[in-house]
Amino acid sequence: MIQLSYSQVNRDLLKTMEPPGKVYYVILALDLAVLAWGFYAWTYQLRTGLGVTGLNSPVGWGVYIATFVFWVGIAHSGTLISAILFLFRCRWRNPIYRTAEAMTVFAVMTAALYPIIHLGRPWRFYWLLPYQQRGHFWINFRSPLIMDVFAVATYFIVSAAFFFTGLVPDLAVVRDKAVGWRRKFYTFLAQGWEGTDREWRHYSSAYLLLAALATPLVISVHSIVSWDFALTIVPGWHSTIFAPYFVAGAIHSGLAMVLTILIPLRRIFRLETYITPAHLENLAKLLILTGLIMGYSYGTEFFISWYGGNIFEQATFRYRIVGDYALAFWIMAVANSVVPLLFTVKKIRMSVPWLFGLSLVINVGMWCERFVIIIASLAHDYIPFAWGLYKPSWVELSVLAGTFAWFFLWFLLFVKFLPVVSITEVKELVEPPLKGGVDP
Amino acid sequence: MSQRINRRNFLKILGVGGAATALVSCSAEPPETLIPYLIPPEEIIPGVATWYATVCRECPAGCGMLVRTREGRAVKVEGNPSHPVNRGRLCARGQASLQGLYNPDRIRQPLLRGDSGQFQSISWEEAERLLVERLADLRRQGKAKGIACVTPLLSGSLDHLIGTWLAALGSKRRLTYEAFAYEPLKAANRIVFGLDVIPSYDIGAAELLLSFGADFLETWISPVAYTSAFATMRAYRDGRVGTAIYVGPRLSLTAANTDQWVRIKPGTELYLVMGLIHVILKERLAPSIPQKEAKQLKALVKAYDPEAVAAVTEVPAGKVFRLARMFARARPGLAIGGGVAAASRNATATLVAINLLNYVTGNVGRTVRFGPNANLAKLATYRDMLSLVKAMDKGEVQALLLYGVNPLFTLPEAAGFRAALKKTPFVVSFAPFMDETTAEANLILPDHTPLESWGDYSPWEGVHGLMQPVMQPVFKTKAVGDLLLSVAKRVDDRMAKEFPWPTFYEYARDRWGELHRRLAPMKEFEAFWEEALRSGGIWKEARATPVRLSPEVFQMAFEPPELDGGAAEAFHLLPFPSLVHYDGRGANRPWLQELPDPVTEIVWDSWLEIHPEAAKRMGIGDGDVIAVTSPHGALELPAHLHDGLHLDTVAIPIGQGHWAYGRYAGGRGANPLVLLSPDPEEVSGGLAWSATKVSLRKTGRRHHLVTVGGSSQQFGRGIAQTISLAEMTELAKDGEGAGREAHRPKQIYPPHDHPKHRWGMSIDLNACVGCNACVAACYAENNIPVVGKERVAEGRIMSWIRITRFVEAQQPNRPDIRFLPMLCQHCDAAPCESVCPVYATIHTPEGLNAQVYNRCVGVRYCSNNCPYKVRRFNWFQYAWPEPLNWQLNPDVTVRTVGIMEKCTFCVQRIREAEDRAKDEGRVVREGEVTPACAQACPARAIVFGDLKDPRSEVSKLSRDSRRYQVLEELNTQPAVTYLKKIRQALE
Repeated sequence: MIQLSYSQVNRDLLKTMEPPGKVYYVILALDLAVLAWGFYAWTYQLRTGLGVTGLNSPVGWGVYIATFVFWVGIAHSGTLISAILFLFRCRWRNPIYRTAEAMTVFAVMTAALYPIIHLGRPWRFYWLLPYQQRGHFWINFRSPLIMDVFAVATYFIVSAAFFFTGLVPDLAVVRDKAVGWRRKFYTFLAQGWEGTDREWRHYSSAYLLLAALATPLVISVHSIVSWDFALTIVPGWHSTIFAPYFVAGAIHSGLAMVLTILIPLRRIFRLETYITPAHLENLAKLLILTGLIMGYSYGTEFFISWYGGNIFEQATFRYRIVGDYALAFWIMAVANSVVPLLFTVKKIRMSVPWLFGLSLVINVGMWCERFVIIIASLAHDYIPFAWGLYKPSWVELSVLAGTFAWFFLWFLLFVKFLPVVSITEVKELVEPPLKGGVDP
Repeated sequence: MSQRINRRNFLKILGVGGAATALVSCSAEPPETLIPYLIPPEEIIPGVATWYATVCRECPAGCGMLVRTREGRAVKVEGNPSHPVNRGRLCARGQASLQGLYNPDRIRQPLLRGDSGQFQSISWEEAERLLVERLADLRRQGKAKGIACVTPLLSGSLDHLIGTWLAALGSKRRLTYEAFAYEPLKAANRIVFGLDVIPSYDIGAAELLLSFGADFLETWISPVAYTSAFATMRAYRDGRVGTAIYVGPRLSLTAANTDQWVRIKPGTELYLVMGLIHVILKERLAPSIPQKEAKQLKALVKAYDPEAVAAVTEVPAGKVFRLARMFARARPGLAIGGGVAAASRNATATLVAINLLNYVTGNVGRTVRFGPNANLAKLATYRDMLSLVKAMDKGEVQALLLYGVNPLFTLPEAAGFRAALKKTPFVVSFAPFMDETTAEANLILPDHTPLESWGDYSPWEGVHGLMQPVMQPVFKTKAVGDLLLSVAKRVDDRMAKEFPWPTFYEYARDRWGELHRRLAPMKEFEAFWEEALRSGGIWKEARATPVRLSPEVFQMAFEPPELDGGAAEAFHLLPFPSLVHYDGRGANRPWLQELPDPVTEIVWDSWLEIHPEAAKRMGIGDGDVIAVTSPHGALELPAHLHDGLHLDTVAIPIGQGHWAYGRYAGGRGANPLVLLSPDPEEVSGGLAWSATKVSLRKTGRRHHLVTVGGSSQQFGRGIAQTISLAEMTELAKDGEGAGREAHRPKQIYPPHDHPKHRWGMSIDLNACVGCNACVAACYAENNIPVVGKERVAEGRIMSWIRITRFVEAQQPNRPDIRFLPMLCQHCDAAPCESVCPVYATIHTPEGLNAQVYNRCVGVRYCSNNCPYKVRRFNWFQYAWPEPLNWQLNPDVTVRTVGIMEKCTFCVQRIREAEDRAKDEGRVVREGEVTPACAQACPARAIVFGDLKDPRSEVSKLSRDSRRYQVLEELNTQPAVTYLKKIRQALE
């Protein structure tokens, strides 16, 4: 229980929305510059063709798809924290779930850019949507890419609805304090929330319902994304372990990303009272779990490739550990399954700088995992004569930077337009005021 | 262009062949410009191809061609099935003749070197006037003897015209020059058999083929014909296949296709041959020769016992014995030689010995037949060229007329042609391209390319190929024959009277009148002429002349080769003709530049081959730029490590290193001829190609040699499979269908239904030699863009079919190099189809895996999931520089940026055949559809047809005992069946 009054909570948590200082604008300008550069790189790619990337035959997918998977993965922890932990009545989630959920929504918005960016003819992206085209064309439901379209779109809709629903009572608080155009803006967003019992009753059941809806998506979406690979016959992709392995990986990377975002946030906005080391510790403990799952998955992959006796699989996995992309592999192996084990040391998981540093390492490791799975498998598949290498070009790296800027742009806007910690749910943790309603 | 040029009236003439769409004769004036749709001549049906028969002039082999034209433009060339040389097949160079026709670097109008030294465009009128004035002047001054003319091998009307024309002017300086002129071959036949000729070699009939450095699958004499014959020889029959052994210092493509490569010290082939004869005579393995001759020959080879031979050649004595016995046992065998690889200073002696070897084993008259002989023997020798150079140097040559030759590039730099050219006051070139020699000319009168010209060419006795223009000239060029006639009329009246023909077309017809009187006097001339046009020429069997040993042979001195270069030059230099560039003339064809060299897989470049051990000794790595110095010159080339090489030898391909010759050829690599000794070989007067020693020095710089292909190893994946002869014989006992049907696991989805046809292909790896003809044909047929060296390096080559090359664990001297043409397998359970989100790739009811370009959004998922990696993505919007785009096949879509493409089994040809069948109310017949690759294949390795028809050739082959499918265990159920290569165990 937090020993604070409701009004103190309101004051503290709305402080984040105060007009920003110079530093904020500098950061915003930098972010926009990177975004503009990424956009320029993308238009260059549009004008010239995908030849400006490092892609080739045999490596048809590169950094774009790897980062797509990375962002979809990031998106998962938000829902895990907001929905699954909600259903499990883990109340320690309350102060951190808003940020995690925002991260989810923005991560999906970022991830969704990649399938379009990587198309040979992006101006025809809508052909991937399920509608009757040119009279009778339909899409191929057997293609995992179509499943992806559904999965990611569903995930975006549900997580956005969930995010918004949870926001409504807070928006009413913001509305009540706001003046001028902001008042109009938040009045619209708050949807006429009055805080009546009836509204709270509806709100609670809607929230529960959405949480229940979102929970299976945590499992299904990344399973489906993993089928992009598992349903092919590429050695290193064609594996039944992929769905659970990808879900675990998604949560692993998402938790790390939550830490990466929360730690600076709590420092900048002085939210230490609300987001305590205990919260961070809980996340770190979860990371131990997911890290162990990752280690187990890696081990299983290697074991099966050896045990299965398939020479193509064996060659692929041998190539991963000693081949051209071995560095990425070893970063992935160490960062994802060994580094989280450091959190078993209490001192480390209680230390904010350690947490922050290691969360960054895990993020890098998870990106490398996607890179290794996609590129190292494609580079050396069945016909040795067709083997090739891939190196990302400046265009791909620029677009990559641009999309990171895109993600952070939303985050920068988020911290100034919406309460980053749920006022409502923090209040649930606060000793209720005295009957009679006098605020001490 | 004036009315006189009746060649333009070629539409009057029937040019029909192959798929035979008759073009009916009619009097319509052909359009003056090449936009046929503006005023369509009534005999051209838009959308229907017209075929013209002509002769390929990309090398002296003189294969017959059929040229497919659409709306007045040539779009594809194919072999002429009725031509006796190539029987419907064509090599990569022949395919690329179209890129000569449409080369953007062609000379577009006459050029005159101005006072500033720069060329300026002039009109034809002026150009002709300049030439006439000059020639008439020389004649008046009595200096007509100083007019010299150099042409490539011509053997028909143009040859005759140039000869008589020059004679009428008053000169006899006429040379027919080819870089590869086979002088030693000719000389050896004179010495041994008293005949100054190049005979026919019946490779197809040989049981054992022993090649001493003759790269007969690449450039030697008539590669298409020999590749075809080689496939025949290697085919399985009654428990046997022909055996081939290659003796030479370098593992060439030809060597890679033999059963055994005998690595020999360069220049010592002679000793091995003598050693073989020694053993054969000593062991009395040659029963058929007269006692007296045997005795004489025995004396001749006395010194060459296998031990002595082994000491010189580095071939173990035991091997000499085995080779000799094997060769003598073969009925018949065939030994050939005379390639550049064995052209040391004792080249003629080596070939004399080879002749003797064939003689003692009774092959002469069986596999070596003196008749029909090759017209190559009519070529001037290298020594003749040297005398011309000397004459030019002395100022005896007042005017040099160059037609279709590039001596500045193809003669050794040290031969002094460059300086001699400077001393020649008036140099005229008739070249269609700005080659090195033409760039030094005073006046350029660009000729048509052969595809735009009338003419005839006879590569062998009795084979008279007829050339006709297949389309309007692309540029303002003028056929050299027309030009000579027109000049003759203007020089003076006497000459005008001597040459009354208005155009070369009439002249050629008249010359054919003679042929008509000789060959078919019963027929009407018109019918004879039209028949010849339609079938591409006229052929007559030539009888073989029996030969006897000439006494000259016993006076022959067999001396060790003297090499140029002292102790400082540690390496023996072996320049070798490039498979695709020949003597350099192919280098301006982008298709040929993009074709990977089958042995090294290098594209767009030239290199120095060096043995890895020698490289290690010198600290040379792959791609290190090496300065190569001989006593005659120096050059720099990147090193390529190649273990198929004699240790003390370095090899450089001939053909690159152009400093002129257009955008595609210029500035790539170096020309090894700058290193060569200019002294001719003593006996034959030929150029001693491999008689120079060189020294190497690292420059410290590096150069990126771009290769196609990731790994040359199979890692036990069974992609290119072989079968031993013993196994094969065992299987063959079980008869047809002994090859197991593919194992078909159960599937969720039902198999595809093929109501009418299921198109399929079989590829015989035992026949495929990796020559790349199919690849070039595919480029031509399917509008495949050329991407250039940098993009090939990035893995963006667009070829739909490519020759994958696997090198198995190298046993010494036994090449196990396997070539496997890889193209879309048109799987029945195609992994690409299920993953495409938009159904852009689908299985058609005829069993094709179709790619719908318009539907493709470019996710590249199909390519990722294709285990064969045969899909090609359009990374860029590719362009064809004008007028190369004229060659684009109108039946095939030109693809746009951002979409996937791949082999279609030439669906446009299938459609055409089906439409025709439908019009005629029948089903498509067996053999009616032939994709471009199968059509071109000189080895007939590719067979296409309907798998639903159990009697079709392809169906039978799909059940052959050698059948297998690549990555069969993936259950992709390909429509392409491969036939395993047959392996022979030789000691």
